[in-house]
Amino acid sequence: MSKPRIVVIGGGVASAAAVTELRREGFDGDIALISGEDTVPYERPPLSKDYLLGRSGSVPVKEPDWYEQAQVELLLGVRARTLDVAARTVTLSNGAAIGYDQLLLATGVRPRVLPGMTGDGVRYLRTIRDATKLRDRILAADHVAVLGGGFIGCEVAAAAIQLGKRTTILEALPTLLYRALGQDLGEVVAGIHRDEGVDVRTGQQVTGARPLDRGGVRITTADGAVDADVLVVGVGTAPNQELAVEAGLPTDNGIVVDEHFATPAPGVWAAGDVAAQHLPGYGRRVRVEHHDTAIRHGRAAARNMLGRREPFLDVHWFWSDQFSHTISSAGLADATDPLIIRGSVEQRSFSAFSLEGDRLRAVISLNRPRDVLDARRLIARDHSATAEQLRDESLPLKRLAPSAATT
Amino acid sequence: METARWRETINLDDLWEGDMAAVTVDGEVVLLVNLDGTVQAYSNRCPHQASALDEGDLDGETLTCAKHLWEFNAATGCGINPDDAQLTRFGCQVGDNGIIYVDIGR
Repeated sequence: MSKPRIVVIGGGVASAAAVTELRREGFDGDIALISGEDTVPYERPPLSKDYLLGRSGSVPVKEPDWYEQAQVELLLGVRARTLDVAARTVTLSNGAAIGYDQLLLATGVRPRVLPGMTGDGVRYLRTIRDATKLRDRILAADHVAVLGGGFIGCEVAAAAIQLGKRTTILEALPTLLYRALGQDLGEVVAGIHRDEGVDVRTGQQVTGARPLDRGGVRITTADGAVDADVLVVGVGTAPNQELAVEAGLPTDNGIVVDEHFATPAPGVWAAGDVAAQHLPGYGRRVRVEHHDTAIRHGRAAARNMLGRREPFLDVHWFWSDQFSHTISSAGLADATDPLIIRGSVEQRSFSAFSLEGDRLRAVISLNRPRDVLDARRLIARDHSATAEQLRDESLPLKRLAPSAATT
Repeated sequence: METARWRETINLDDLWEGDMAAVTVDGEVVLLVNLDGTVQAYSNRCPHQASALDEGDLDGETLTCAKHLWEFNAATGCGINPDDAQLTRFGCQVGDNGIIYVDIGR
């Protein structure tokens, strides 16, 4: 009888975490990792920050040697084309077919591509290849334009201006990071970027971009035109779910999984950015696109593939480093939640909490990562908080958990 | 042969069990961690991006860096998440007088 085979599709940290955990947990069957990229899985967070600045090279999650020693077969530069869940077979872009006993779909997301934007000067950022080309483009540029004032756009703009380039952010919404922070706190981030010299233009309806004869790109907006040497588009993502859709798996802005990362197809699981999972305590299904969550997903999915049946309850968390500032957040807020501020917005050191009754729903913080660490623990356990307590900096957040109050 | 260079830091009485503190030894910021009366000394710089570990959290034996939530076993300095990280450990002993001595090896 041949050994069982687990196939993992995707080249990100969720895949790397999954194969690592499978071996750590003693799985001794075959493992194959399929990635459309031609490198082993690597850390993406530096790509929009230190990698663009030239302060960091590629950071592999595991060195290539590790896969050899762990006997994980790497199929790099290869894409999965079709999935047959009845035959338990995946066909690949190189014409090969690979059978599986269990399959993990960790196919991630891709940047949302805008129509009406053409030419080599229009760049997107997802992979290390994208980042390498973008860095060359930025270094050669005088003027860098960024379309989209979300996290990627803000980080790229911060890198570009730190590389000494004239930098413009074009954002359709009223301020930067509007969806994550809302108007008032988004303005704090916009203020940071303006202080650093970024030309932040909000409320901009961008209608297209086309190459200029002299090189570069002309961006047309409802108000006129902006010429730049490179335009970086960061306007959200789309899940890489086509394989699942064509295989008949349920999708809903992502591949739908249960609390164990299982899809309805036998032996088929999904994890990472592409997985849409019910979020405990929030009453809805979400797709979380954050680094730490992808790692935790990969690890937890691997354990469940080995029969552990452990529901995933971790509170998601993320950070964004811009200039000397760190934005970090835990939990999931509703855009309409009133925000309770701890610290000082003026001094750019605050945490904004949202409450549901006496429970913390979410926190987003500028330069107070410790609050996020504490809040993340609170959200995961029994606690009770009032707005007054959250505003009171003399009261450690840890004290809001009943178990901590008695120690 | 290298001779150990023990430097006086704080008194054990000032570092509660389950607590941590940053002290400066020969210009190096050192994190002292008291786990059930046993003190460990590590570089206060997270191996990820050199953030100050004493601004993070110690929960049982788990030390968490606040900046990007890297987690370490405070008894061994070994990474938990990611599991291939490692804190820089320094020599550490508690004298009969209760003083915590640290040797940063230079």
